[in-house]
Amino acid sequence: MIAIFKRDFIGYFTSAIGYVYLGSYILVLNLMFYLGNMLGSSSTLVALFGFMLTIMMFITPILTMRVFSEEFKLKTDQALYTLPVKLTSVVLGKFLSSMAVFGCLLVLTLLWPLTISILGENNISEVVGNYVGILCIGAAYISIGVFISSLTENQVIAAVGSLGVFIALYILDMVAMFFFSGGVLPVWVMRILVFVSIYGRYTEITQGLLALDTIIFFLSVCAVFLFLTVRRLEKRKL
Amino acid sequence: MIEVSGLTKSYGKNRGINDVSFSINEGQIVGFLGPNGAGKTTTMNILTGYLIADKGDVKVAGIDILKEPLKARRLIGYLPEQPPLYLTMTVKAYLNFIAEMKKVKKATRDSHIGEICEMVGITGVFSRVIGHLSKGYKQRVGLAGSLIGDPEVLVLDEPTIGLDPRQIVEIRNVIKKMGKERTIILSSHILPEVSAICDRILVISDGVIVADGKPDDLAVAKAEDYTTLIVRVADTQSGIRTLLNGIDGVRKVSPLGKIEAESSDFILECDKGSDIRKALFRTLAKADCPILMLRPQKDSLEDIFLKLTEKTAEEEVS
Repeated sequence: MIAIFKRDFIGYFTSAIGYVYLGSYILVLNLMFYLGNMLGSSSTLVALFGFMLTIMMFITPILTMRVFSEEFKLKTDQALYTLPVKLTSVVLGKFLSSMAVFGCLLVLTLLWPLTISILGENNISEVVGNYVGILCIGAAYISIGVFISSLTENQVIAAVGSLGVFIALYILDMVAMFFFSGGVLPVWVMRILVFVSIYGRYTEITQGLLALDTIIFFLSVCAVFLFLTVRRLEKRKL
Repeated sequence: MIEVSGLTKSYGKNRGINDVSFSINEGQIVGFLGPNGAGKTTTMNILTGYLIADKGDVKVAGIDILKEPLKARRLIGYLPEQPPLYLTMTVKAYLNFIAEMKKVKKATRDSHIGEICEMVGITGVFSRVIGHLSKGYKQRVGLAGSLIGDPEVLVLDEPTIGLDPRQIVEIRNVIKKMGKERTIILSSHILPEVSAICDRILVISDGVIVADGKPDDLAVAKAEDYTTLIVRVADTQSGIRTLLNGIDGVRKVSPLGKIEAESSDFILECDKGSDIRKALFRTLAKADCPILMLRPQKDSLEDIFLKLTEKTAEEEVS
């Protein structure tokens, strides 16, 4: 697992992907920080994190599209399958390496609360809540992206597929709310939709409601999709 | 060392391999021979755990590859048809990665990798990026990867493909050298290669093993079915062909032309089981035509290969 983690993490930065991911993210976000917080003299990061969440939908696929697709395409998966290593370790190693690149991004964004602490005052619980929230949702996104990448050997399809799923998750709440208020959906369907709604839970966290069930929910999303990825890889052998 | 029994694998409606069984002893170099799409790669993929067979068992050193996959895989080094190379890595980083995956001890890792690089001749490109290397070097890096961890069994799928003639000879020598301590299975559709390296040949055609034996055995066994002689006779008079045609048991005489000055060559196809050599000598001696050369035409491996694989193709059609 560690070997795979190291290889993939370094792989992000020996190809352009890692730089494109971090660069495009940080460029846009820092611009928003400058416009919203510096020029707008605001000390709250909620709006910025909300924006970050939106563009995460579009940028996370860059991170995950190649995870397995590229291995299939270049046939390097043959090495992973035939070396003495469990598929679970392969999947975990790859997931963690994508998480590590995402972690690099979060470390870079620490510049914001740092700047604010110099020029003004942070709302500590808000900052912590937003970081935990974005980390949870990032992990969920990455696990979904990794799974979708294991379905195809075409990176473009993997990227577009992940984007589609993320957008669907994003509008899930709105769609549910729309139909519910129209009286189309029964209450129990609504309850399920609210339960699986990643954004609903994310909003809770950013408001400072760090409930245990929310953490468990996000961990479960990761576990389910990583498990599905392992199953998918096993199935390829048949 | 390797026990394969009743291996069957199909892809949808297409038959991959059907009931393939064989066993390979320790220290043997076995060649898998067959036309494209015959099932060589499928069989190798199953042996190494890349694919799971629909039916059948594979045991490596007594270990079932499905029951104890990690233990079995530790014994096998695999070079697939397309070497599994990460193109953005350097040779050094790649081999270190493989070594780490195969759990080669850190203390001996560098010297182990160094030895292997020396053996396959990639020391000169050790710190270069794999994607920038030529096909031949990529192939060698792949071979080096399969050798890491000193596996007891090596499975090499078309190891010399894409190499130039000199490199082919070098890689063959490497394989031969390694074969002294290891069990090696290699596949190829190039006959001379297989007969040059291997102790034993398995001919596979359309998913079925059609022949199994030493390169020489295979050639002899099939040559006995019919008798074909090549004879060179000094040109002392005309009408030799009619003379040859008159010998009892000769079915067909076809001239081969003049290879040596003042002589003619003929191919004599004779009835099965007949031996016309004595009659041939007497007839030609009587006519005062010295025999300069007489030899049976042995089927080359190439011919045998074609015959074996054609037969199954014909059966398929009918």
